[in-house]
Amino acid sequence: MTLPCLTDITARIQELPAISGVTLDLLRSLNDGEADIDALSRRISQDQAIAARVLRVANSPFYGLQMKVGSLHDAIVVLGFSTVRSLVVAASVVCALPATHCPGFDAARFWRHGVGTAAAAQALARALGRNPDTSFVAGLLHDIGRLVLVVLLPAEYARLLQQSRQEDRRLVDVEQEVLGFDHAGVGAALAQRWNFPEAIREALAYHHQPDPAAGHGLASLIHYADAIAQALDLDEAEDSQMPHLDQAAVDALGLDRQALNTLLAETRVRFDSYRLML
Amino acid sequence: MNTIQLMPLEAIECGAILAEAVLDAQGHVLLPAGLALETHHLEALARRGITTLSIQPDTDAQERAARQEALRQRVLYLFRHTAAEPSAQALLHATLAFRLEHLQ
Repeated sequence: MTLPCLTDITARIQELPAISGVTLDLLRSLNDGEADIDALSRRISQDQAIAARVLRVANSPFYGLQMKVGSLHDAIVVLGFSTVRSLVVAASVVCALPATHCPGFDAARFWRHGVGTAAAAQALARALGRNPDTSFVAGLLHDIGRLVLVVLLPAEYARLLQQSRQEDRRLVDVEQEVLGFDHAGVGAALAQRWNFPEAIREALAYHHQPDPAAGHGLASLIHYADAIAQALDLDEAEDSQMPHLDQAAVDALGLDRQALNTLLAETRVRFDSYRLML
Repeated sequence: MNTIQLMPLEAIECGAILAEAVLDAQGHVLLPAGLALETHHLEALARRGITTLSIQPDTDAQERAARQEALRQRVLYLFRHTAAEPSAQALLHATLAFRLEHLQ
């Protein structure tokens, strides 16, 4: 049997379930200023599943609100537009891309790791003075190429998962060996196809091998956030293993011991809140 | 392991539980088994020339130590392919310290 190449996979991306227009608009606007609150809340409120997930997170103890917020409009007023925007994007993507049946693939674990990486990326971005919303979304989506492979090649990907487990090897290495490309490349192709902001596309493409010298700032941040989420066992999976950390990327972040400790604590607290959207 | 410990008197802290009764030369019970030792008990025993006591094992401390060891092993398992890499050192040590500190 001939395995598909990256070009074949890219050509089949339109077979994925559609992601809503409003979500794509929000994704593309992550770097923009604040939009019209009423317009956003009206558009999102039409999707009750998304609105309910966002409100669950908004009402979690992490935000410490005195009163329960009952509408997206109120959530935006209390939490701010950019916070709610990134929560809406996250909830929309989680709702839009259900996994098909692929033996060995645990969708709940996948999203726990995504949300964990998002929480770590957001905490890291705040510590480093970078954009927390873009970092959050990039963290959530960093392995989205894996989900694409699960949906488009369920039988082949099930074999990769089994091989990775049996040989106790990182899945990304097995993907490269068997397919000749990996989920990072697929995620970048998806980002290109759906017109994600360039920084997010780059983060998806290079999160396993960032090059700070080439300006992969967000990719370096996601590279480390991915490791933090694994180190804290946020995916709750027995067979997890740490990714290789690139020394130049670690050095570029410049975190001392105290900053790292704060980061771990922040990630843990944020994760407990954000996981409510799953 | 829940074996009774024979401990030197000076090493026993307040709150330790006597595993066996302390008897005088005539076989009278001075202190019953199960007693939580207080400072005045330890001082009185020292005055009587008693140098060792049978103490119940501190199961809470043992369980805590076992949980800490299991957590240490879990973190090392996560880092099983990278623990020797210089780039992983800071995160490995910070993770161990953080997770041990927050162990329930």
